[in-house]
Amino acid sequence: MSDAHDDTSPEMLERRAILRRAAWMLGGAVSAPAALAILQGCSAKQTPVTAAAPDLKFLSPAQLDVVAEIADIMIPKTDTSGAQDAGVPAFIDLMLADVYDKAAQDRFSSGFAQFAAGAALAASGKPFLEQNRGQRTEFVKQALEQALGAKQDGKPFILMTRELTLLGFFTSQAGITENMDYEAVPTIYHGCVPLAQMKKPVYWE
Amino acid sequence: METNSFDAIVVGSGMSGGWAAKELTEKGLKTLVLERGRMVRHGEYPTATKDPWDLPYGNRITQETRRRKPVQTRTGYPTPANQHWFVDDIDNPYVEEQPFDWLRGYHVGGRSLMWARQSYRFGPLDFEANAKEGVGVPWPVTYDEIAPWYDKVETFAGISGSVEGLYQLPDGKFLPPHDLNCVEVDFKKRLDEKLGRKLIIGRCANLTAPLTHSESPQRGTCQARNMCIRGCPYGGYFSSVSSTLPSAERTGNMTLKPNQIVYELIYDNDKGRATGVRVLDAETGKQTDYFAKIVFLCASAMGSAYIMLNSTSSRFPNGFGNDSGELGHNIMDHNKPGNSNASVEGYLDVAYTGRRPNGFYIPRYRNVGKDKRDYLRGFGYQGRAQRATFSRFNDNALIGAELKQAVQEPGPWNVSMTAFGEILPHHDNHMRLDRDKKDKHGLPLLVVNAVVRENERKMEVDMKNDAAEMLEAAGFKNVTVKSDSYNVGNSIHESGTARMGADPKKSVLNKFNQVHACKNVFVTDGSFMPSFGCQNPSLSYMAFTARAADHAVAELKKGNL
Repeated sequence: MSDAHDDTSPEMLERRAILRRAAWMLGGAVSAPAALAILQGCSAKQTPVTAAAPDLKFLSPAQLDVVAEIADIMIPKTDTSGAQDAGVPAFIDLMLADVYDKAAQDRFSSGFAQFAAGAALAASGKPFLEQNRGQRTEFVKQALEQALGAKQDGKPFILMTRELTLLGFFTSQAGITENMDYEAVPTIYHGCVPLAQMKKPVYWE
Repeated sequence: METNSFDAIVVGSGMSGGWAAKELTEKGLKTLVLERGRMVRHGEYPTATKDPWDLPYGNRITQETRRRKPVQTRTGYPTPANQHWFVDDIDNPYVEEQPFDWLRGYHVGGRSLMWARQSYRFGPLDFEANAKEGVGVPWPVTYDEIAPWYDKVETFAGISGSVEGLYQLPDGKFLPPHDLNCVEVDFKKRLDEKLGRKLIIGRCANLTAPLTHSESPQRGTCQARNMCIRGCPYGGYFSSVSSTLPSAERTGNMTLKPNQIVYELIYDNDKGRATGVRVLDAETGKQTDYFAKIVFLCASAMGSAYIMLNSTSSRFPNGFGNDSGELGHNIMDHNKPGNSNASVEGYLDVAYTGRRPNGFYIPRYRNVGKDKRDYLRGFGYQGRAQRATFSRFNDNALIGAELKQAVQEPGPWNVSMTAFGEILPHHDNHMRLDRDKKDKHGLPLLVVNAVVRENERKMEVDMKNDAAEMLEAAGFKNVTVKSDSYNVGNSIHESGTARMGADPKKSVLNKFNQVHACKNVFVTDGSFMPSFGCQNPSLSYMAFTARAADHAVAELKKGNL
């Protein structure tokens, strides 16, 4: 990988990464403290969990954690599933590896490095994942607004991540069935129906 | 006992081949259907019932698929849900002297599985145009001659649509039309009031109601899933796999052989007729000759012309039946230089339910009646109004619970539409064979060179300006008219390579799709078209194939073939 993740891979970050992956592996059923207990005594560099973590095809473990956190800020768990419940982090890794071309991959990687550096700079050197949720959310918002306001060649990192998050979430079973009225077999098309008479929102893709 | 002799051979099992198989077998002919691709039986549609989350990559194409299928994927048509119906371009190369999008489906059913199902008659305006304007060769068939065959194929296939009484787009035997949606209904009204132009619901081969006959018991009504391109286990749309091939099979007269690449017609110089075809097995390379009294070439415009160009003999040194020098020439498609979009204010309290496998259609109005332009012919638009879905939040700053909430509301309405313009036949738009370059079967490569020319370029100005004019007349906002580059072939309507005409010196086929110089060979796919209208052509291929089959059997009975 590029030196992108060197900016975000101090030992603490690795440790968090392991915790997060452990939580996904366990399907989110295990609380963070429980996961922490599981991992107690593990040094980040020994990585017993990394070996068992989902195979990453493009992102480094540290990058995955940042991307997962961004996805979670954009689509958090509420009374319905969030991006991480729906498997969005692994989806993003797979899309970057297999669907995106080299130019887009490079744009993502360099954009990631800029994002990580910018996040740390905005928090007196504290890496993105070490910040509290409020700070992280604020930085993601800022990054989005900046990207949306700028004229750029190719979609910038934060908007790529956003697009992939939305796509991954709203093509997942949880994302579709918990947020939309999905009918696999609608049987008939009605062209003009008052919303008041519809279960909403209808899945039309 | 295995035999290589049949009454009839049909080459290709798609839109036209399916019809040829059905008609010939129902009239009692022992018929061999040869398909170059793999077997597909009705119901064998691997992705047909997959939910969105069962498809990999959010249904986006991978780099690996792009690498294997660079031509297919550059058009944007294939997705993981349907990519198995599109050929591997590396295994099936051709030479593009000019960019040419050759979309191909090598399997039983061909592109009848993937087609967009839009089904329009050509009318008197289309059949008379070449003669009136001195373009190409006159059609040897009138609308009145073909109309009963349109009736027949519409009734069997099941075409939904509305009766409109338009001279330029004759009505047919229709199942009930799909609904226009709320925005489209108002768009229609405003176009009519302000510009005197019609907007109608698309006419499509989806069963909006049960068929009016009982010959296709395997077919049920359309379930409004809009996944037709994957193949429909309900039989809700017409394909040869769901419709004509099962009918042919039921007669007991059809032998269907997949993986058989027909590369040559066998010509008997003494008898002055074709005796059969030469075939390579796509998997083993084994060569076989099959024999029959008549041969129907239904291998697509490029495919059939390829076989004919590759069939040389002392009688036909320049390709089978090519006394005119027109074989492989006059390639047409529909010019599609970009789509137009607009946003729609209001209508926020209404939407639609179900997924309609159809859109609206604005029939041709240019050079119709008193309208006269500085170019010949005209164009039609296909489009739809819809409410935006989650992707509208891609370039947006909303996050968190607010974003989830916002996605749960239907988005604003937008309208998009695309013009399809007639391309005139031009001798220089052609395909030929390069015998120095071979594919993996050792067969020469097809070379294609076709471009849009002056008349099409002039027409494009109207295609774009009129789109903006109509969207603005309807009161829509943010009207955008795109100029996309168009490669010939991109409308997947390639045609014209063996045109029909009364004069054998200027055309390859006669009015019954028979090769002028060899009457027991019929070509009934898009090859035969002497001009191309702006309507989607498949319905015409069905009608002309059924008519040709009827003629073939009558001539056989008279001992003329």
